[in-house]
Amino acid sequence: MSRQIDKLYRKGAPSADAVDEFIRSHSFPLVETGRVTFVYRGSADEVILRRWISGLNTAQPLQRLEGSDLWALAMELPAKSRFEYKFEVVHNGQRDLVVDPLNPVLAHDPFGANSVCQGFGYKRPGWTLPDPEARSGTLTGLRVNATAFDDQREVHVYLPARFRRNRSYPLLVVHDGPDYLRYADLKTVLDNLIHRLEIPAMVVALTQSPDRLVEYTGDPRHARFIANNVVPAMYANFPLVDERNARGLMGASLGGVASLHTASLFPDLFGQLLLQSGSFAFSDLGQHQKGPIFDPVVKFVNAYRANPFPLAEKIYMSCGIYESLIYENRSLVPLLQKQGMQIYFEEARDAHNWENWRDRLRQSLTWLFPGPLWMVYE
Amino acid sequence: MTVQILLGPQTPTSNVRQAVESLTFDGPIMSITAGWRDSEGEIDELQAEIGRPVEDLKIYHRAEKVFGLEPALRELKRERQDKLLELQRLYRIRLSSTLTAARKLMRETAEPDLLRLEQRAAINQIRALDRHHLRRIQTIHREFDTRRAELDLPLATAERDEVREQLAGAGLVLIAGGHVAVLLNRVRLFRLGDLLAQKNLVAWSAGAMALSDRIVLFHRHAPQGRRDAELLDAGLGIVRKRVILPHAQTRLDWSNQKRMALFARRFAPARCHTLDNGSLIRLEDGEVVSANKSSLINRSGRRKALRPA
Repeated sequence: MSRQIDKLYRKGAPSADAVDEFIRSHSFPLVETGRVTFVYRGSADEVILRRWISGLNTAQPLQRLEGSDLWALAMELPAKSRFEYKFEVVHNGQRDLVVDPLNPVLAHDPFGANSVCQGFGYKRPGWTLPDPEARSGTLTGLRVNATAFDDQREVHVYLPARFRRNRSYPLLVVHDGPDYLRYADLKTVLDNLIHRLEIPAMVVALTQSPDRLVEYTGDPRHARFIANNVVPAMYANFPLVDERNARGLMGASLGGVASLHTASLFPDLFGQLLLQSGSFAFSDLGQHQKGPIFDPVVKFVNAYRANPFPLAEKIYMSCGIYESLIYENRSLVPLLQKQGMQIYFEEARDAHNWENWRDRLRQSLTWLFPGPLWMVYE
Repeated sequence: MTVQILLGPQTPTSNVRQAVESLTFDGPIMSITAGWRDSEGEIDELQAEIGRPVEDLKIYHRAEKVFGLEPALRELKRERQDKLLELQRLYRIRLSSTLTAARKLMRETAEPDLLRLEQRAAINQIRALDRHHLRRIQTIHREFDTRRAELDLPLATAERDEVREQLAGAGLVLIAGGHVAVLLNRVRLFRLGDLLAQKNLVAWSAGAMALSDRIVLFHRHAPQGRRDAELLDAGLGIVRKRVILPHAQTRLDWSNQKRMALFARRFAPARCHTLDNGSLIRLEDGEVVSANKSSLINRSGRRKALRPA
């Protein structure tokens, strides 16, 4: 157990007032070098930590601390780690999945909010937070005729601060774009990195699929939508540099698969790929165990592994070491490198979540699209 | 005799006033702040610092205006920039392997006589590549000039004549830092190099780099990781045989003496001058007559305080 809890119990079971004071005077979970202790206070029959870390039990019970309504669980956690969790509180047979009431740090995703455990030394990068000195880019909309799907789709477009029609900008196309804005602070990050001259002012097309479990899993219609609809519409409406190296495609999870798949069908289109925690499921022998949604993914990745070829000039890949996809991502890296592409692979002590992807944006974007900082000597 | 005073970055403290007060000149003080791009001409702080009025030439905004009015020139410029960018990319590919080989040799511990010749040959390869790159850049600039001369550009010509006339009356010109390529391109666009060579100049950071005959970009601690120092272009050649290195304290890898030695030897016989906050180098007739808080990087990769010749 943590030193703080040991101290609380030094003279036996604490009084309710002492517990109140303990709660008031600490931040939770209790973080020490190499260790973290989760604490829950309240009446319950059982409290279980639910976390999303590959390789460890996804559920681990907290222990009731004698003579109080405190529950606690200590676990090893390497420095600078970060992962998301919830408590499952069991009361009279009813099971409720709740965020940690004592931890104000939350991460959001399309499924709701999770509590965030930040290991010793983790600090949210300053460039992910709004900088009052950074000029703000604007978001606008573009209606794209999606002939590949026989419908029309709305694409959000980020225009950098001081956007001018008589300039030419690199283009970045983002899968799950609105989610990147909402959960990974992509607009703030773009504003900041452009302001710091770490990336060039760029135009970003933020796409969103109404059915990503189908369209992002190796669907040729989606690849055609990006290549034949989104990219031409962006060129028709915005001043963009017409070079492969000035075009990038990115996505996380299945969005990473959609990016790689699109690049495989249109290998001359994008010079830069940014793939975060790509769900690159494959099988070496026999049937994969990931469920039917992954059938087309496995088919695509297996085909690419059997017959690899260059897809882009540079590929940045990242994956959290606490996610099961680390195996697939690590496996793909040497294969891509052998195709003569420049590959940058980054592993993080994090899991499959938007804040992991947010925290990797500076390294990835500045590597793929180095900004004019190099040219600026104030 | 004209005087050039080179300064380091002007933050957190400025020494531009000290530089200006050390000069005797007749005529107004003018500034070139094109390196600040959109913020060009925002010189209130600068004027307050030196306590005298300053007239900004606004060549960045003038260039924007000219490109708006002369689409043929804008197109020609864009074509040149695209070519230069592509050439730079190709140069980097060659530079990377050539530098890697030289660095490996610098770390080797073979028989000294044998090794010395191989190291020298490796450095000569880098120098040859830099020279080749510079020649290729100059060819692209010459092509641009030739094609530009064939165009009828009355508005660009009128703007150029106006800015040249304005500059001709300056007693002292201040050239601020910022984006070195933007600054250099605008100075070239209005053909101000010959006039600047006849003026007393106080230039800092990118402004000082632009005055030199070779502009070297460097940043060992860029966010995207280490990057090899590369030749960008020839400068205006007003300050000759000196490589100007602003922000040297933070942007160079001082922890690696062998790399620094390679850096200095690569650009020799030009001397590598550091310019950090507070640095000042005064040149008269091309020679250093006084210097403060500036260093030379010697062939061993060590810093040596810069002394007047």
